[in-house]
Amino acid sequence: MAQVSVKPESFEMVFYDAAVIGEVVSDVAGRLGVDEAITVDIDEASPLGRSKILSYDPIDLWVDGGAFEDTRRPRQFGQSRSRDTIGRLLLRVLDRRSGRFDDAPTDEELDLVQFAAWDVHSVGRLERLGIGGQRKRRLYQFRNRHGFTDVADAAFDELWGSSELSWSEIERISESCRS
Amino acid sequence: MRKIFPAEELARDSRFIRQTNEQRLNDPRGARVAGGNTSENLAKLTPELPNGPDRARALMHGIFVGEIQALEGAGRTCWDFEIGDEVPLALKMDMARQCWDEARHCEISISLAEHMGTELGEYAENGLLYEASCNPDPVLRLTGVNRALEGLAIDVFNTMKEFGNMAGDPVLEFCEDWMLADEVTHVKMGSDWLRRLTQNDKERLDKALEFQKVVDRLFSFNGFRGEDDDSPIQLTRRFRELAGFTDDEIDEIADMSRDARAEATA
Amino acid sequence: MTDIKRPREPFAPWDRRSLPGLFDVDETARRVGHYKWVEIKLFEALGGWVATIPELDVKMRLGTHCYHHAWHADLFDKRLPELREMKTERLTVPPNEHMVEFIEAMTEPEAGHMTIEKLVGVYRVLIPHKIAAYTYHRNGTSEITDMPTIRILDFILQDEFNDWREGEMLIQSMIESPEEVERAMVHQTKLEKIMLAAGGIAGPGSIGDPYVEVVEQN
Repeated sequence: MAQVSVKPESFEMVFYDAAVIGEVVSDVAGRLGVDEAITVDIDEASPLGRSKILSYDPIDLWVDGGAFEDTRRPRQFGQSRSRDTIGRLLLRVLDRRSGRFDDAPTDEELDLVQFAAWDVHSVGRLERLGIGGQRKRRLYQFRNRHGFTDVADAAFDELWGSSELSWSEIERISESCRS
Repeated sequence: MRKIFPAEELARDSRFIRQTNEQRLNDPRGARVAGGNTSENLAKLTPELPNGPDRARALMHGIFVGEIQALEGAGRTCWDFEIGDEVPLALKMDMARQCWDEARHCEISISLAEHMGTELGEYAENGLLYEASCNPDPVLRLTGVNRALEGLAIDVFNTMKEFGNMAGDPVLEFCEDWMLADEVTHVKMGSDWLRRLTQNDKERLDKALEFQKVVDRLFSFNGFRGEDDDSPIQLTRRFRELAGFTDDEIDEIADMSRDARAEATA
Repeated sequence: MTDIKRPREPFAPWDRRSLPGLFDVDETARRVGHYKWVEIKLFEALGGWVATIPELDVKMRLGTHCYHHAWHADLFDKRLPELREMKTERLTVPPNEHMVEFIEAMTEPEAGHMTIEKLVGVYRVLIPHKIAAYTYHRNGTSEITDMPTIRILDFILQDEFNDWREGEMLIQSMIESPEEVERAMVHQTKLEKIMLAAGGIAGPGSIGDPYVEVVEQN
């Protein structure tokens, strides 16, 4: 079971509970087979939904407070959104460690189109593991980056439905439909 | 059924969660718009923003609940006032027409939300729009709703139309263009009724325009809607002119937005 | 070449419209005024209810139907001056106090859990009575002298049938238990009794009188 450390330990601006967050992160990590220490830094002052990996080894994740927020209940913790955020970040860690992504640009070098394609592949896998979902939301993001075309939709389906693609395969699929 | 139906009692199914104004204003992270998703700095809503598609999704949900409340507000104007003593029949008929338009806008925005991958009730609902349509004076109500809020809708729909155009999303662009046409009609309706009902009543006219400013100010917070390049929602001069706004009135809204932004960053 | 001097019948062989009608100008104006009053009351109620109804599909449908009835009121309003009533408000009145009572009873439900009652009042009582009265008027009035009213009623009846069908389907979709069947029936019965006292949307004679007086002969 992953050892999760949540920072800060208590929250002033949002109604989050570090222990609950730790449990959610630990559960997602367990489902993905991640059995190591994970640190999650949360900027509770930010209602935005950004997230990034500060360190791949040891795993250190950073998120805006908004990335863990229940959009229906502002300032309240949202389980499904958090699981989606953490799941995507951890899958990226696992992808990069797999050897299939050795030729992928660094996170800082990835552009919005590449991020969108990788995210689709990640969230598709998360859905099959019962962790995340929102297929249509991801389709809309993908279309915004790749075009509102049948070709782009077919590429989305391929990314979403495939398991364990390599970076070069993701790039090939993404490039095949960029408008 | 009583006259004047309170905002806190608006009927919703279990998918919808209401955020009170108190909750919104007491958020120490800053008041937010259209279900959140503001950017760190103000930025015009475009697909090029990293969170552009998600902001558009949130805004579309805001539009959807706004349309429900606009439908409810127009419907209440059909019911709340007596023909003759308080309003002419023709005004109520315009409001009934607006009900139909707003009902269509609900249908359109539900379909667009589905197209954008947004679930109904995915974001908290704020009752601010309907509250503005509870004014007991029909002239003030019409001015607040049809000139201020429907005016804001012109700005929002034009911004979304441009977003659709930039993203190459033909569905979004097509639908927003149609809704924009309706909103210009609604604002014009408000401008016409304001003029007709206050023709010999300068005091009431002034009160109505003041109420409009109050509502406009509410929706200008942090410079959310303005005509600076980085205003998330762009003030739309051309369509506002078509709807009966004067240049001075548009300038005033632009100034209001700049003041609100200066206030927020001070 | 066509012989333009060849006489033709003024009424084509297939044109079977007849001149006589049941209503003179004054009676037509009286009825149209009542129709307008009912349409106004209906669109006001539908608009007012929108905010009180939690079911999203019903909420939107009522918003749409609200305009249909406002448009009907407008059509009747425009017809009145053509029937010699220049002050249209004078005839925009209920036929009797029972009709006022009916509208008050129909618009009484407000609570969010009373959508069935709201819909029943409109779609199982008022609109069927409107369809009946409009159909009687449309079929009974002179097809030549009062064609403008017939044309208006044809447009309106088209809306009424469509709205009735949509409303009835909403009701059927909302009734899920025997208790809800009972609720619908109780409310319908209550309103029907008031409508009976009113004699229909234009008062007694709204749909004519089908009975014949039989004089006993000895």
